[in-house]
Amino acid sequence: MTALASDPAVTLDAVTRRYGETTAVEDLSLSVADGEFFSLVGPSGCGKTTTLRLIAGFEEPTGGTVIFNGEDVAGVPPEDRNVGVVFQNYALFPHMTVGENVAYGLNFADPPGGASDDQRVAELLELVDLPGTQSRDPRSLSGGQRQRVAMARALAPGPDVLLLDEPMSALDAKLRERLRVQVREIQQELGITTVYVTHDQEEALAVSDRVAVINEGTAEQVAPPRDIYHRPASRFVAEFVGDNNVFDGEVRAVTDDTAIVGIGEERISVGISDREGPAVSVGDRLTFCVRPEVLTVPGRSNRVTATVESAEFLGETTRVHLDWADHDLTVRTRDALDGDVTLGFDPEDVHVVERRN
Amino acid sequence: MTDGDQADGRTRQRLRAAVERRSLPALAVLSVAVLVVVFYYPVATVLVDAVLVEGRMTLRAFRGILTDPFYFGELARLFAGDSPLAVIDALLSGDRRLGVVGFTAYQATLSTVASVLLGVPLAYLLARYEFPGRETVRSLTILPFVLPSIMVAVGFYATFGANGTLNATLALVGLGPVDLLPSLSAIVVAHAFYNAPLVARITTAAWESVDAGAVETARSLGAGPFRAFRDVVWPQIAPSILMGGALTFVFTFGTFPIVLALGGFELATVEVFVYRLIGDLNYAEGAALALVELAISLGVLYGYLRYEAANTIESGGARPQGRKPLWPPSYSARELLPRVGLAAYAVVAFVLFIAPIASMVYASISGPNGLTLEHYQFLVERQMAGASFQVRPGTAVRNSLVFGGAALAVALPMGVVISVLTTRRYRGRKLVDTVAMAPLAVSGIIVGLGLLRGLVFGIDIGGWRIAVDGALAIVAAHAVVGYPFVVRIVAPELEALDRQLVESARALGAPRARALLDVELPLVWPAVIAGAAFAFALSVGEFTATAVLASGTGQYTMPIAIERFIGRRLGPATAMGVVLLVVTSVSFVLVDRLGGDRVGL
Repeated sequence: MTALASDPAVTLDAVTRRYGETTAVEDLSLSVADGEFFSLVGPSGCGKTTTLRLIAGFEEPTGGTVIFNGEDVAGVPPEDRNVGVVFQNYALFPHMTVGENVAYGLNFADPPGGASDDQRVAELLELVDLPGTQSRDPRSLSGGQRQRVAMARALAPGPDVLLLDEPMSALDAKLRERLRVQVREIQQELGITTVYVTHDQEEALAVSDRVAVINEGTAEQVAPPRDIYHRPASRFVAEFVGDNNVFDGEVRAVTDDTAIVGIGEERISVGISDREGPAVSVGDRLTFCVRPEVLTVPGRSNRVTATVESAEFLGETTRVHLDWADHDLTVRTRDALDGDVTLGFDPEDVHVVERRN
Repeated sequence: MTDGDQADGRTRQRLRAAVERRSLPALAVLSVAVLVVVFYYPVATVLVDAVLVEGRMTLRAFRGILTDPFYFGELARLFAGDSPLAVIDALLSGDRRLGVVGFTAYQATLSTVASVLLGVPLAYLLARYEFPGRETVRSLTILPFVLPSIMVAVGFYATFGANGTLNATLALVGLGPVDLLPSLSAIVVAHAFYNAPLVARITTAAWESVDAGAVETARSLGAGPFRAFRDVVWPQIAPSILMGGALTFVFTFGTFPIVLALGGFELATVEVFVYRLIGDLNYAEGAALALVELAISLGVLYGYLRYEAANTIESGGARPQGRKPLWPPSYSARELLPRVGLAAYAVVAFVLFIAPIASMVYASISGPNGLTLEHYQFLVERQMAGASFQVRPGTAVRNSLVFGGAALAVALPMGVVISVLTTRRYRGRKLVDTVAMAPLAVSGIIVGLGLLRGLVFGIDIGGWRIAVDGALAIVAAHAVVGYPFVVRIVAPELEALDRQLVESARALGAPRARALLDVELPLVWPAVIAGAAFAFALSVGEFTATAVLASGTGQYTMPIAIERFIGRRLGPATAMGVVLLVVTSVSFVLVDRLGGDRVGL
């Protein structure tokens, strides 16, 4: 674990939130460093939004503690936590103009840097690329514009932490891609600690410093995007993030840098040289994954012969579903595949997800 | 700016923040305190009155009522220990006695049947047909809530009385005269006037929420139109019809002004007898009888709520069925029959709903020699020259307006605070909801009696005698009657607001009370105004509690004045009724324009 110069901006320590019989968040621990863009990603109902609401103070944990800069914030109401929140539906006050919306938080806190309220509003609208819209009715704006007004409103009082709850999910795909870049730029410019909740793993990978994959109320893995993608720590992460081929097998032989794993009658060489944790030995059960894009047509040291079942044309590539010895196999390729094909991949491109002995 | 100024400013800011932070809990505590003082304590007083006779706990008063055939008819013999078989035998015989309670239940049952029979066709018309003025008719169904029942009674006198418009019309064609007042049928019809729109309102809402897709699916699976109605539509509207019926039964079981005015003492219900017992200063028996009535009403309501909990069908996000034109598109039997039925219904409904109001207005401006303003003149003269024991119309109008304004000033903030409390999610919310809504189920007689015995007569606390002025007690009673309706109108609107609006405000630094003031109230203000108009109109029209509290004092209101006129001079009573109609109509227009659609009743 990295040593931090100061206390993390936000820490959750063994936080649990129950509603009667159901548990939304269970024994969740994570910390967000100052200035970090941190994403919570997971399927709907996994507890990521509850986690955000616990940080904002809209809910109190039933167990564990929420810590801001080293201080326990139990019982501190949302208005005193100095957080900015942007919701999925933006929640702009419909009876106020854009300018009044952005200025609302300045009723309770002076604008940072000694600016006047009007200056601050203008500055924020400039920042989100909506200059001069102060007197507009928020209902007359498009979804993307509303989202940016909500962002400006949340940032106006100069919060310590920005909390974004699925802020893009009501927008269409193209706009989402453009806006997430803008959100990331604003976050970098202000250096503000940001917690971003999304069910869209691609979005989380694209903008975050670190990502926590949440499943059934607990964090399955907390890591930078590349590690989440290439080195998933659990079967759930491997299957949730991107397309993947996940297999279970038993180790039949081990050399210095590879393990030979048997799946039924088939054999796959799995690279283990960069593996952390206990060494792999013969007889272990391994769960491992191979990304569809590394399965290429002329064979490498691992070769499998599979039968094409169906194909989805996605534009730049084609996703092909194959049957390999009664296992489902997915491949991403630009080539047209048909009938029986032989595919190959390197042992180093196989990642061991879980090991049981 | 000096350091001192800055420190001063900061102190002020901190003070303001502290006030804003605590104001909502403080208001909540205050509302509960008011509720305890003006409702729970007085009702408890009534209970104590009923069981504490000459300083000793006794159930004598209850036993006396239950075993007295005067109240319970043949059933009293059952409570007295007779064999059930003998009682059933007696009930089946021709000269059975119902007793006062039995008669009350009997007229309530008849009234409920009449209200359902008149209300459901209206719901069918409103939910399934398109015609000009449909929206207006629909919003008029809320009118009975704000029409004072004593005014409706005057309207019935002006229509069905010996010199009413009905007899005048019959005389024109050489028939009559008929004597309809006082009679059980007049009471039942008046109750239908009052409650059929309620049944229609509730049923229409349910009918409109039936998903057209579900009906279309049934049709595509082979069901004919009638079968689709029976299998898909009926199961969804039946609970609402039953709910309208249950509420009608409870309202008409506890009826007071209509029976008092249209039935006289020969056709007295429980409530009228309680009023009479109080007049005779027989508080123990009066209180016991009022509690027996309350127990029966609550029993019916509870039974209904159990049924509702088990039978509610949620159909969210439904696409309503299309409306048919009122004029038949073709002249087939299938198109014509329902429309002929509706036309017949329209004639009955017109006579029932329009005639009483129109007759009252007509009677107020007509005399033996044609049109005249003499009745209004009489009101003015009585105000100028009336003796001190006589009811002065101007004073009645003034009292009504003052009490209405004062009751509003209590009911509105209380209703808003309770709305906030009942729309937030927390443990014990159901309890708060029940405690806050209980006044809806308790009759004005009990509230009035409790306030009279508990607060007006005074309480001894540590040697101090605390007594409240009668006018204050009337205001308290009116506030108790009015605030649940504020809650019923405002709470659904607050509930429908996006919770994240408040959360956004709070994340931006606003304390809870500030978020209410800055965000929620501006967004639901039409409902707040509608609630205010409702509370005001209910206060202006309130009769029962006022009758108990104002008897023998100068604090009479317009409804009380009408009741005193009604037996002797119909003309001035109708003139007074028109004044009342104008005041309540203004309130109705406000309610309708500003959010009567969501009244949660």
